[in-house]
Amino acid sequence: MTDPKRAAGVPATAPATAIAAATAPAGSIYDLGYRHYNGKRNGRGYAMWSLFVESFRGVWGLGRPMTAKAAPFILAGLYALPAVVQLAFSSVFAQRIAAGDQLQLLNYHNYFADFYFLAFLFCVAQAPELVCRDQRYHVLPLYFTRAMGRMTYAVARLGSLALSLFILLAAPALALFVGDVLMQSDAFKAVGDELPKALPSIPATALVAAGLASLSLAISSFSPRRAYSAIGIVAYILLMEAIPAALYSIGQTGGGSWTDKLFVFTPVTSLIGATYWFFGQPLDPQDFAGSLTSGTYLVASIGSIVVATAVLVYRYRRVPA
Amino acid sequence: MALIEASGLTKHYGPVKALEKLDLAVEPGIIGLVGANGAGKSTLLKILLGLVAPTSGTASVLGMDSVRETRAIRQIVGYMPEHDCLPPDVGATEFVTHMARISGLPRSAARERTAEVLRHVGLYEERYRQIGGYSTGMKQRVKLAQALVHDPKLLLLDEPTNGLDPAGRDEMLDLIKRTGTEFGIAVVVASHLLGEIEQVCTYLLAIDSGRLLQAAPISHFTRRVPVLAVEVEEGADRLAAALVAKGARARQDGARVLVAIESDALYDVVRDAVADLAVPLVRIRQERGRLEDLFRDDAAAPGSAQ
Repeated sequence: MTDPKRAAGVPATAPATAIAAATAPAGSIYDLGYRHYNGKRNGRGYAMWSLFVESFRGVWGLGRPMTAKAAPFILAGLYALPAVVQLAFSSVFAQRIAAGDQLQLLNYHNYFADFYFLAFLFCVAQAPELVCRDQRYHVLPLYFTRAMGRMTYAVARLGSLALSLFILLAAPALALFVGDVLMQSDAFKAVGDELPKALPSIPATALVAAGLASLSLAISSFSPRRAYSAIGIVAYILLMEAIPAALYSIGQTGGGSWTDKLFVFTPVTSLIGATYWFFGQPLDPQDFAGSLTSGTYLVASIGSIVVATAVLVYRYRRVPA
Repeated sequence: MALIEASGLTKHYGPVKALEKLDLAVEPGIIGLVGANGAGKSTLLKILLGLVAPTSGTASVLGMDSVRETRAIRQIVGYMPEHDCLPPDVGATEFVTHMARISGLPRSAARERTAEVLRHVGLYEERYRQIGGYSTGMKQRVKLAQALVHDPKLLLLDEPTNGLDPAGRDEMLDLIKRTGTEFGIAVVVASHLLGEIEQVCTYLLAIDSGRLLQAAPISHFTRRVPVLAVEVEEGADRLAAALVAKGARARQDGARVLVAIESDALYDVVRDAVADLAVPLVRIRQERGRLEDLFRDDAAAPGSAQ
């Protein structure tokens, strides 16, 4: 039988030669033929770990172009900058402390309260990066048709963002610790003095990281577009900070007292308030209106983490693949 | 053991009946799954993968139930979705390696398999470039590579030739054929283009509106006579009459004349008839087998349909 294409007057297209060209470089030397894989196959935990590692690299732009690294590293750098400056000048401060000066230096317990907006921007920039790409470019079916469950996917993504935030938030605490130790003349004694003050940073930082990560990721997961997700995070946080504050001031003038309870719904204020609980510090009345205690804010923050994580998992149960 | 089995498989999306009481039993090979858009091809693939739960009925892959043994099935199945599924800002090597690891391959094995599979699908130097800059043909190759990287026993390909030019389409079909024959991997190819699928498949499943139309080895279908479509600006009726007069099975179809190609001599007959009648010729092309042909008993026999 003749080639139907040529017979039908269709110009002979290049398929035959193209295939030859495509396979030729592999040629007789390199082409070992198709080999089946009989090696080890790991299970779900390994898949989750692989996604976790990939997510973590994605948050920081590792293995990606410089443009992808810019936002996370600049924000993390800015967040740590005040602490690093204090570390750099610790010898100068040490002389002045020795001379008897009272210096108002940076503290562990209110560092996040002063610079939280940088960590917040980090979430706005990087949380959509983690979850929007896969929805926008329809990569999810590839994950969900592998041995990766939907919940596994959500948890791996969340874990990597939380760890990234933890590193970002913990870096200045570490710098403060080193700086404070260097300011003392007796380093060993200084470690003993400083450590109890610094240690609450670890649980406080973990809580803030989990709180910001779960909230921003849950909101991001609802849109495949980065811009919408980012706007969604900003809008949610601004509104949930502003509305209780507005209702509280209305309540104050109206004589109502219960309106300060609404502050448990504030996402960032609650987290800041909760960090004070770990340090055993009183809430600064300038920053915290109303009569809520740091313990209440801690409960509110944990509640927010639970709800946001549940929303995230729920979203990934429903997201079409 | 049957590759794919289904009994009474039904899937309704609200009022939409995507699949309706489908019964199947298919042996390993290269299986073509043909149907018009919306016939239920993708739904069937998604049920086999456990992405979608059937409304009623059961389906199984290599004896494993699609609902209860989803994870075991996914270990041995590679899936190439119909739509784009590649992030643009990573290289093919990085992406396929990542997918291999998600499939459970250890790091070094993932790298090795990726290099091997990308070579098999025909991606060389460009595999380190970002996928966003790839042509559609290259993207389709990456999609196939990620489905192959964990060495599945069954490949499910949903419209693998979507958006490819004729050359790219033939290369993709050749790749599918090699995968099915040389690699010894069973393949299910879903497509709405019967003409493509019949080039590579050993077995054909035709579904329409969620129902099984035909299920038979390809040899059952290839007895069809190929059809030549002669498109003219005017005088299609005269040309058809002239061809019939010369003993060809021909039929007018609007501005075209469809001729059954029963022997090579027919090309000359057509050429002479066109020249004799001096009808303005637009083009002559081999008709790709069309799905409608399956719906008629006298498949692709235009002469008899006159």
